[in-house]
Amino acid sequence: MVNVIDYVPGDTVLHRLNPVTKLGVAAAIIIATFTADTYPMLLALLALTFVLGLYARATSKLVSLLKLLVPIAVVMLVLQTAFMRQGTPVVLWMTSEGLVTGSKASLRLLGVALPLVLMLSVTKLNDLANACVEVLHVPYRYAFTFTTALRFVPVFGQQMNAIMEAQCARGVEYDTKNPIRKLTLMLPLCVPLLVSSVGKTDATALAAEQRGFYLRTRDSSYKRHPMRALDVVVLACGVVLVALGIAL
Amino acid sequence: MQESKSIIEMSHVTFRYGEAAAQGKEVPAALRDVSLRIGEGEFVGVIGPSGAGKSTLASVLSGAIPHHYRGELFGSTLVDGRDTCDVTLTDISQVVGSVLQDIDTQMVASVVEDELLFGLENFGVPHDQIEDRIARTLDTVGVAGLRDRETATLSGGQKQKVAIAAILAMRPRVLVLDEPTAALDPASSALVFDTLRKVREEGVTVVVIEQKVALLSEYCDRILVMDGGALVLDGTPREVFAHADELRRIGVDSPRVARVYNSLARDGLVRGATPCLTVPEAAELIGGLVGSAVRGPAHTADDARAAAIRAGSKHVAVPRPHAVDATPVVSLEDVSFAYPGGTASVDHLDMRVYPGEVVGIVGQNGAGKTTLTKLLNGLLRPASGTVRMAGLDTREVPTSAIAAHCSTLFQNPDHQLCKDTVLDEVAFGLTLQGVGEKDARERAAAVIARFGLPSDEAPFSLSRGQRQMVALASVVVMEPEVVLLDEPTSGLDYRECMTVMDTVSDMAERGCAVIMVCHDMEVVSDFAERIVVMADGRILGRGGTQQMFGDADLMRRACVRAPQVTELSQVLARTTSPEFAGISQVSGIVDLTEEMVRRG
Repeated sequence: MVNVIDYVPGDTVLHRLNPVTKLGVAAAIIIATFTADTYPMLLALLALTFVLGLYARATSKLVSLLKLLVPIAVVMLVLQTAFMRQGTPVVLWMTSEGLVTGSKASLRLLGVALPLVLMLSVTKLNDLANACVEVLHVPYRYAFTFTTALRFVPVFGQQMNAIMEAQCARGVEYDTKNPIRKLTLMLPLCVPLLVSSVGKTDATALAAEQRGFYLRTRDSSYKRHPMRALDVVVLACGVVLVALGIAL
Repeated sequence: MQESKSIIEMSHVTFRYGEAAAQGKEVPAALRDVSLRIGEGEFVGVIGPSGAGKSTLASVLSGAIPHHYRGELFGSTLVDGRDTCDVTLTDISQVVGSVLQDIDTQMVASVVEDELLFGLENFGVPHDQIEDRIARTLDTVGVAGLRDRETATLSGGQKQKVAIAAILAMRPRVLVLDEPTAALDPASSALVFDTLRKVREEGVTVVVIEQKVALLSEYCDRILVMDGGALVLDGTPREVFAHADELRRIGVDSPRVARVYNSLARDGLVRGATPCLTVPEAAELIGGLVGSAVRGPAHTADDARAAAIRAGSKHVAVPRPHAVDATPVVSLEDVSFAYPGGTASVDHLDMRVYPGEVVGIVGQNGAGKTTLTKLLNGLLRPASGTVRMAGLDTREVPTSAIAAHCSTLFQNPDHQLCKDTVLDEVAFGLTLQGVGEKDARERAAAVIARFGLPSDEAPFSLSRGQRQMVALASVVVMEPEVVLLDEPTSGLDYRECMTVMDTVSDMAERGCAVIMVCHDMEVVSDFAERIVVMADGRILGRGGTQQMFGDADLMRRACVRAPQVTELSQVLARTTSPEFAGISQVSGIVDLTEEMVRRG
């Protein structure tokens, strides 16, 4: 199973940046993507994400995510063209204006989702949590909740998979081609998933407490995450990027 | 042992779970008047049937009761001299470290090193000592090479060891573990216990809840037996396993060699109450009883001679006769399959199963056993070769159609259950196959009655063992041609395990082909006529159960340990008399020994 938020090990500058800086970079790209309004800028931002991904050797993650996002982007494009009928007709019902706004919306969708995943895939979750606590002064409780939630995503994914397989082997038609039928068949499975997740979260809380969770302070972390000169430079680049996004 | 300073003292502890109990309402007690003293440095095993209060006992020791679980608590528990009610859970956990049953919920980090850091950081271990602690702990547990690995990529056994290391790094004086080997194969289970033994040598007291009696008897120096919330037996493994009748009544298994001893003692051949716990001990005992009179020919016994003796022996199980010309109900021909990403694969599998057969599939974790079952029930399609299930080529029909012929009992019943009542649950599979609602419910009700299950209750409100029974009932009601069992006995106590296996044997008697993946070699030996031995995605060997278990080289290559009685009969055949060769049952060894003593 390919998990999009798995850590990709490496020793690039991107890996070594402070996790908070990485979040900042991702945020900068995302904000710039929202504010940019020209094709060159939108494409450049996407290209930047891919160049960074290539550099951090995390392109496979981006590609697997793209496979998921491109169909959604295409649907968005078609819907946009259906609603935006101004401008000159180009092909079928599509108009020039519809195509322009639609394609930009699709590009934005890709430009928003990819940077965040890229940054998460070059950052260990615990480092991210600890850095947020240390640099941003986020209370540890929230950071812990966040990392635990992310950690449970693949666990629940596996569980859902096991449940589907078990039901399929009983003769429930998950292999049906009809997506609506599949959805109605999947609904009852929420019960076993919910039951087990409640038990899991309770056990997690207990285990964390038994390992001194409530004693933890901002200075507990063994690994320190100070902001270095490089981080400042990278963040400054991020600000420039946002400015460019607003201008272009 | 008794002289050592005590680290835990429980006196007259009774506990009832839940809000209702806290408000003084009547709820059955999970622990009843338990008094117990555990000395520093002991290695204590806890065993008992499901619902006996083992996990509750662990919660009391670790302080989760009274600090996390609500309920009504009587009596006192002193951990290192302090009453657990008077100190916080955090204080208790600095003395008692506990490893939960479901380690996925215990893990906090995605990388092994961070997992160990978590507790150290929280308890404020000075940062200049942390490096040393991590390195030493990983070394003790034997996972130094895994330090930078992602926890998600670890095998079950490795994960379990990391979970132990994460607790051990905090230097607790007591380590409490709740069924640490439940999901592991025999080889990994033994490695986990090796680790625990090493931990104990470093001075840590170990308390482990475990169902595998052979492990308990080999590693622990004290065993507690629980039943219905009470502590019923407490002593060294020899003392405890001498109470054969009482253990059977409670529903706790005994090591097979202990059963041999107990049977011999019952018949007056040996005196005293010090059962053997290992194969060499039992071999020596029987060798001594039978004497050297018959030892002569053993050294020259060749295979033909042994086979001749075996053929005439009434102590060797006769394979169930099935028609030689019968058509196999399941057949695999040169089947290969690889998961995307190349993480695991199975190659060139060939196998045939006939109606009425019970076939066991054995091998280490990762040998490809589960992949094989998924190829059979159609959850996976072969990349090459053909899988035929009841005449259907699995590549040509949807999985849901295969389900009409082949039912699977999964390791975890919770993945299977999805209805509001037991009756709906059991009838569900039938309605999926197009059986009318009324007919389905009637058939379901009949099976439920046979199993003695509460038909109107919600499956999720039942105990783990009962949930497994509901899952089993939904398999039985289908009257399939083939049943696949994936670890049918894991998580069950001895009595539940026997109920499951007896039901399965009944189905085989009535012509159903049974294929079971199982780590419990005693169960395989007792119920399977043939086994398929797998390793690294290949079939290493297949044949009669005893013949396969008897092939020491094969067993070693597959990292499978033959059941105790088979090992014993092999040793006895070598050292005492070739007549012992091929015996697979406790009764066979006992009968033959008694016969030889009378003759001798």
